[in-house]
Amino acid sequence: MNAFSKVHPGVASVYFLGILLFSMFVMNPVLELLTLLGGLLFCSSLPGDKKGLGGYFGMILIMALVNPLFSHNGVTPLFFMNGNAVTLEALAYGAAMGVMLGGVLLWCRSFSLLMTSEKLVYLVGRGCPKLAVVLSSALRYVPMLKRQARRVERAQRAAGLFGPDNRADRLRASLRVWAVLVSWSLENGVETARSMAARGYGLRGRTNYGNVSFTLRDGVLLGVVAALSGGVLAGLLAGELAFSWYPALVWREPGPLGAGSYVCFGALALLPVCLEWEERIRWNYSRSKI
Amino acid sequence: MKKDLLLGLVVLLILAAFLLTTDFQTVDQFYLTHMEDITPDSDTVTVAIVCGEAVKNPGRLDETLLERLPEDGVILPETTYVLRPGDTVLDLLIRTARYNRIPLEYQGAGANVLGTAYVQGIGYLYEFSCGTGSGWVYSVNGVFPGCGCSEYALSPGDRVVWQYTCDFGRDVGALQEGGGS
Repeated sequence: MNAFSKVHPGVASVYFLGILLFSMFVMNPVLELLTLLGGLLFCSSLPGDKKGLGGYFGMILIMALVNPLFSHNGVTPLFFMNGNAVTLEALAYGAAMGVMLGGVLLWCRSFSLLMTSEKLVYLVGRGCPKLAVVLSSALRYVPMLKRQARRVERAQRAAGLFGPDNRADRLRASLRVWAVLVSWSLENGVETARSMAARGYGLRGRTNYGNVSFTLRDGVLLGVVAALSGGVLAGLLAGELAFSWYPALVWREPGPLGAGSYVCFGALALLPVCLEWEERIRWNYSRSKI
Repeated sequence: MKKDLLLGLVVLLILAAFLLTTDFQTVDQFYLTHMEDITPDSDTVTVAIVCGEAVKNPGRLDETLLERLPEDGVILPETTYVLRPGDTVLDLLIRTARYNRIPLEYQGAGANVLGTAYVQGIGYLYEFSCGTGSGWVYSVNGVFPGCGCSEYALSPGDRVVWQYTCDFGRDVGALQEGGGS
């Protein structure tokens, strides 16, 4: 159980949206690094598989190396490849893109771990129940496919069809599992639709029950998120967060407003981690009183 | 196990093929080019590269880019070079840009849908750098030919001017469809 999972889903959605919008539309290296750092800390504090986290760094490296192959602009050529310049600027921009992508993916991963389908249905269910059903079944789809893939693989292994002693055979076996999965998911889609129709989905007068309430704590948190986002936005609109990538890397020396913006964004990105720490301190404090 | 080795070998082969077919040069090696000396009986052409329209619209340009553009908008003043037999406008541009250490980025004829070479940027100034209708166009003897620069073969005495337009070629005197860059 994470401290952030107790936050009202509306507040949490506003928060995630703010972080994602800032990191996607402001190409500023400091903001991107803070997003990545916040995402990494947040994701590793959540329950779930942590093995994949290292893969994001590989992605950053690949992005940094691939961008100079397509973009040759920049005042600092490092060397020439087939007559095209490989520039420091293109390398830096690629790395920044990688960091941005990694950060955004980490935050999306945290979002999908925290916002269970129950919470999403609660959020959009009253305004647009059809969207809620589509969203919840779409979100359910990937974990369901993973489970089913494991089941199919075990069945194939039991049937002796899986030859796991070399990579080529393993690849072929995985392709077979994939083919089975595709036909299974088509069939499953039809079955789900029939079953839902049989249970009366889409009829008038259905109600739902959500175990969430907007507490004072949520109100305070929403205020904090709004204030911090406002701080970042003020610096952004004043042009203090501008960073030039092409043709030369030019860092704009931040004034007081810009520095305040960076601090605000740092606080925003580390907010879930701070909440977690607060929870832990509180827990230890109440335990020490016993 | 044998198949694993085979797979590794294939990956290695692809990597080796990539490294062998790629030509790596240091910056100095790349710019170390030679231009033929002009003798009284050699055929010559002149070439100039200007971006006056872009400099006239500084508000639309990126600040860092503006600092790197010449104030008078002349990237390369009209200069005379020897014409090699079969030279196209693009060949001449590549040679002069390399000789004068001007960064140049272009798509070869096979790399785009136009079926002819397309110059994307000269001297850090790229297409769309100055609004949606901006890019490089060329004229020969004051006329904007309606064909790509890799198709136009030069003849002795031609005067080539590369101009940066901010308005689909209208501001530099080229018709909208006549600016084949």
